[in-house]
Parts: sequence; structure tokens; C-alpha cells
Amino acid sequence: MSDPRAAVIRVEGVSRWYGSVVAVSDVSFDVQPGITGLLGPNGAGKTTLLRMMTGLAEVSSGRVTMFGEPVRDNPALYRRIGVMSEHETVYGFMTGRQFVTLMGELRRVPDLEQAVDRAIALVDLVDAQHRRMDTYSRGMRQRMRLAATVVHSPEVLILDEPLNGADPRQRVHFKRLLQHLAGTGCTIVLSSHILEEVEELADTVLLIVNGKLAASGGFRAIRAALDQRPYHVRIVADAPRALAAAIVGLPSVEAVQVDPDGALVVLSRQVQALQVELPRLAQREGIRLRRVEPLDDSLESVFGYLVGG
Amino acid sequence: MSAVYHLTLRQLTGRWRLLVLTALSAMPVAIAALMLSLDRAPSVREFEGGVIGAMFAGAIIPLVVLALAGVSFANEIEDRTLANLVLSPVPRWQIAIPKLLAALTVAGPFVAVSAAVTAHIAYVGDPVATTALTIGMLVAVALYASLFTWLGLVTTQAIGIGLLYVVIWEGLFSGFVAGVRLLSLRHYALAVVNGLDPRRFPSLALPPFPVVVALCVVAVVVFTWLTVRRLRRMDVP
Repeated sequence: MSDPRAAVIRVEGVSRWYGSVVAVSDVSFDVQPGITGLLGPNGAGKTTLLRMMTGLAEVSSGRVTMFGEPVRDNPALYRRIGVMSEHETVYGFMTGRQFVTLMGELRRVPDLEQAVDRAIALVDLVDAQHRRMDTYSRGMRQRMRLAATVVHSPEVLILDEPLNGADPRQRVHFKRLLQHLAGTGCTIVLSSHILEEVEELADTVLLIVNGKLAASGGFRAIRAALDQRPYHVRIVADAPRALAAAIVGLPSVEAVQVDPDGALVVLSRQVQALQVELPRLAQREGIRLRRVEPLDDSLESVFGYLVGG
Repeated sequence: MSAVYHLTLRQLTGRWRLLVLTALSAMPVAIAALMLSLDRAPSVREFEGGVIGAMFAGAIIPLVVLALAGVSFANEIEDRTLANLVLSPVPRWQIAIPKLLAALTVAGPFVAVSAAVTAHIAYVGDPVATTALTIGMLVAVALYASLFTWLGLVTTQAIGIGLLYVVIWEGLFSGFVAGVRLLSLRHYALAVVNGLDPRRFPSLALPPFPVVVALCVVAVVVFTWLTVRRLRRMDVP
């Protein structure tokens, strides 16, 4: 009997380099059924990793297997996999229905017409199915591409930045759809550079930074690590030296520095508390705050902190 | 296989491409008609060497085929749609061969009609010469198509490199360097014409007909095999 917790996808010591540039470096992880989020800033190596996981790109070293079989040069495996790349890889001269039908034909789907009907209904594009795809909005194209990706009812779905270009309503629909598919037992790997996107969807997160696996596990553990990181906040005020003297006494502040241009740079590990305390302090001291901005709130700095430990 | 074939047919039959192919295919017919109407018409040998051997087999047919076979994969790579085909559970030869067949399907009729009409005019309705030239030029289509289909998968500059190949290899080297003819697709096609009708291209030092047939088969098989191999090993964008 097979182990029910056996990994659906196994990535073992995978690296990929282009000349002297290392895109992915010695990454290992297992993917189980459910939704796994591949999170990382732009250029972190997510797409390269996904391309190796789908067999589209060769690994420089290491091994990728799916259901225990090598992925590369194994076309038969694609009966069980659906892949949606980050590029809008559609044939503009086709209608949405023709595109989904073509993908179904290529995947040898039995009862093709029914499968196409089902896939298009799933993405809620029945009314637009006979329109040419070059007349679709970006979000509609993404959804029709998803229909084409699931037309053969794959056991594994690999989606590279699937929510790109979707408006808020489409995002909600897309998320519900992925949750529905995961509920049917599908193993889904999706990449994103947006924390909140992955937080809402993924049971497990793989954090990729500079081509390396920086962290993996449940989202809460990773989120907790993010919340404890120190933030730098830049404050522009009328009386910077007076504000600096007062602000250093706040429990949420660890250090204060006054820049040559008069702006304050505050280091805090409790940024949410600082958000509450700072306006009160300014009001009490009669100091006018002109600008308050986080200096390192980008994902890159978050990931940089995690990688730095 | 039929899904890839029909998809490629749709990709290759855009209006502008068909117009260009029509114009290219009409050129030898127009030139043949024009030459025959001249008071001092060229001899059959001159016409064969200049118009059929050099221009038709060495320039027009490769250009027609390059415009089709050269882009059948190259456009998919450029548009990043090749992944749609490669991520399907079909052996790679079932992607490569329909692509090649689709290029042949579109190019074949243009070249066949052009060759038949040109031969009919130039050889004054001689059925043996017309048949030989039509078959020989269709062989040229198959040879060039297998080469350019592979080229379109190897490089994104398939059209440019294909043009250089046509001008430098088929146009210059094979015309002036005798040994190169053994590696010239144009000369394989002309040798087929000569094999079917020995009155055609008698002055060209061409290999015997059975050898040429074998060389043609080997060339198509090798280029098709290279295409399949490339499709299996390449990183698909």
C-alpha cells in the first residue's frame, strides 16, 4: 500500500544556473495535497523553480519527481498535471471555447465536449466562450487559461502568478475556485510575490529568496517571524529634535536617529504599537507630523531579514 | 496529432502570408510567360539554369518554405505558446511531425501549381518535363521544410539565418563549388528532376537518381529527428 502522506511532488537538491548566474540553489522540499504557496520577491527564482517542477526547464543538478516519476521528458505524466504559466499563452485568433477544446484534445480527454462545458462553467465564462480570446480582458484570459488547465481534471495544478491581472472581483472568484479544487483532492502549487494573496490561500508556504529556500511551513509561523522583525520608520516633523527626545521614551521604539536633512529614522520591533503611540505623542508635545513612512516594508526587505536570520 | 496539425494550419494561413506566397509563386510563371513573349527568347537550357535551377529552386521555393516552416515553431516560441503543446501527454514526434506536415500542406500547392504552370509554358506542354519538374520541386519543398522546421526550433533568428543559408550556401557555394552540391538541397531537387526526365539539367554534375532519392530521404529523416530531439531537450519558454 502506498503511504498516504507520500509527497506528490519531491524536489531534491535542485539547482539551476545560467552561465555564472545561479537562479536556483540547492532547493529541497516536498509538496503534499492541498494548496502550497511559493512566495518570494520578483526575481527570486520562483518561475525557474516552477519550470523545473513542470519539466519545461532542465535542472543543472538535483532531481524533481512527481508521483515518484521524473518530470523531465516524461510526457505521459502530463495527463495528471495542469500547468498555467505566468505568460498569457493563448492563441488570440481562437475563441475561448476553441482554446479549451484544443487543450482537451491535446490531453486526450474523453467526453471532450462535456469536459469543456464543465471547465468553462467552473471559471464562470459561459457567456464569453464564443468570443475570440484577443477581445478578452486580462482577467478573463487568465480564467479561460485556468479552464484550459483543468479541462482534463488534473491531480496536480501548478500555477505561476495566477492572480496577475485579475481585478478584485475576479481575485475573489479565482480564490474560491482554487479552494474548491483543493477540496476535491487536487494538489495545487501557486506562486506569488504578494504575501496576503498566499496567506489567504495556502496551507503551506515555501519562501524563496535569491534562489534559495528561505523558510517553509505553515503561514502562521512565517508570519510570526515577519511580525518580529525590526522596522525602520522615517518621520518628518516640525520639531525633529524635540520629537526625537520624546519618542525615544516610547516602549515600542528601540532607537532613534536624526538624519542630516532633519528627518527621524526610528527602529521599532512593535510597529503596530508605534502606529498608535506616535500620533498621541505628537499631539501631546504639540509637534506637527508631516510624513510617516516605513523604509523597509518591501517584500525584499522582509525576505532579506528572514534570510539574514 | 490532428490537433497540432490543424492549429498550425490556422497559424500559417494568415491573409498577408498567403498573399506573399501567392506573389512569390507567381514570379516564375510570370517570368516564363515574359521570356517566351520576347523576340529573342532564351534557350531551354538558359531558362532551366537561370530561372528554374537558380531562381525557382534556389530562391523562391526556399523563401516560400522559410515563411512557413521557419515560423511554425519560431512563432510559438516567440509568443510563448509552445508550452501549451509541450505540456501535453503526447510524444514529441507527434508535435514535430504535424508541424512539418502543416508547412508542407500550405507550401505544397503553391509550389506545385507554380512549377506545373511554369514547366507547361517553358517546355511547351511536354507532360514528362512538367511532371518531373513538379515532383522535383515538391521534393525541394519537403527538404527545405524539414530543415527550416528544425531551424525554427533551434534559433529565434530562423528567418535571418535561413535567408543567409539560401543566399550563401544554396546560392553561392553550391553554384560554384562542385563538392558542396552533395550537401545542397537545391541540387538534390534538381537531381530528382533529372532522374525523372534525363533531358532536364543534363549539364549539372548530379549524383545518380537512386543515390539522390536516398539522400533526400536521409535529409528529411535526419532533420525531423533533430527537431524531435531538440523538442525533448530544450528549455521551453
